[in-house]
Amino acid sequence: MVGVKNISAPYIYVCTRMRVRKAKLLPKEEYMRMLNMSLPEITRLIGETEYKQEIDELATTFKGIDLIEVALSWNLAKEYQKIQEITPGNLKQFTQAYLRRWDIQNVLTILRGKMQGVKAGKIKEILVPAGSLDANVLDRLLPEESIERIIDALKGHRMYPVLAREYPYAKESGSLSRMENELYKQFYAEILAEGEGGIKGGNLFLDFIKLDIDIKNIKTLFRLRADTFKEDARDMHIIGGALSVTNFANLNNIDDQGEFIDQLKAKIRQKLLLSLLEDMRTEKTIRDVEVRLTRVQLEQMERMSKRNPISIHPILVYLEKKKYEVFNLRALARGKESKLPSEKIAEYLVV
Amino acid sequence: MAAELVTAVDVGMSVEAIKASQMGMKALGAGIAVGLTGIGTGIAEMGIGSAAVGAVAENKDMFGLALLFTVIPETIVIFGLVVGLLLLFL
Repeated sequence: MVGVKNISAPYIYVCTRMRVRKAKLLPKEEYMRMLNMSLPEITRLIGETEYKQEIDELATTFKGIDLIEVALSWNLAKEYQKIQEITPGNLKQFTQAYLRRWDIQNVLTILRGKMQGVKAGKIKEILVPAGSLDANVLDRLLPEESIERIIDALKGHRMYPVLAREYPYAKESGSLSRMENELYKQFYAEILAEGEGGIKGGNLFLDFIKLDIDIKNIKTLFRLRADTFKEDARDMHIIGGALSVTNFANLNNIDDQGEFIDQLKAKIRQKLLLSLLEDMRTEKTIRDVEVRLTRVQLEQMERMSKRNPISIHPILVYLEKKKYEVFNLRALARGKESKLPSEKIAEYLVV
Repeated sequence: MAAELVTAVDVGMSVEAIKASQMGMKALGAGIAVGLTGIGTGIAEMGIGSAAVGAVAENKDMFGLALLFTVIPETIVIFGLVVGLLLLFL
């Protein structure tokens, strides 16, 4: 009876839909086939899958790489909005909170585009209106002439205080990286608070977020190690994961790769991550490290969703896997456009 | 003392009344058998049905299979019905 009391029909309905959608994602073999195709062939193949509607709609307006880029962004946004519509109760709240990361990405894309003088139409092509800022709000931000006006237009949004606080520094330095760090820190702090708010299912949501934070912090540590100039690690740490700020800063100060891996392993519990870290004792390129960490993250998320089949996990796993499918297709298309060899493109794929 | 009481009750009921009481008990038993198995079936179908609707919403081809899975717990209520019929007519 416990199972019956805790699991309601709408939860089962949505989780099943997510699992069916996940099963429809492109398999590894399909990517391998695409690696040997030209760009028009890839476009045609994508047009025969879940992206058919977008490719058909946009085929008259865009061509080549632009068509793929815009179709992928549209499909991703449509998919995420649809999921927000069908998720019930607490699951909706958690899904919406998780998707707020796209607000950060969209606003930063607009700001970066404006700083570099890119046309509004070109910026719009790569926006994914999946968060709380919908397509209408983003369309209102795009024609604004200056960055100050864009930030002012966001007055009242949860991102505004950080944007207003960090903009003077970004203007002075010409880089939005600190603003980006601060926005993500605020985002993670908010979703952790949401998970800890006592809502049913919050613990499972927190497990997922903490794994995300851990992987993000580990990626940052590897990036900092690969970096030639020293930066203050504390600014880049995200609170809430297995690594505290002190641990993070200490790990960043270790020069020896073996010692760094040993110290890092002492803080981590997930078996998959531990075996991956063991493999990283030998120096690897930062891209290789990031791709492998992402694969482990997805694998671990998949396991979590199997352990808790009727929870927020299957939904979040699908959101992540869909995101990486779009990233992979984009990487494939861009790689083919730039005439990169297939082996090189394959290194960028998360499958 | 107890034996005297039982005798007194037996003496107080006619054969028709006892038969009617037994029939009533059988009907009650049949009702409980069908009712409880019906609730069991409902609970089982809740999960399977919602998953089936979810799967069909994503892939229309699954309709036949989904319907088949949804009605499998009907067997539980059929067992209850059989037990009920046996109680009433045997």
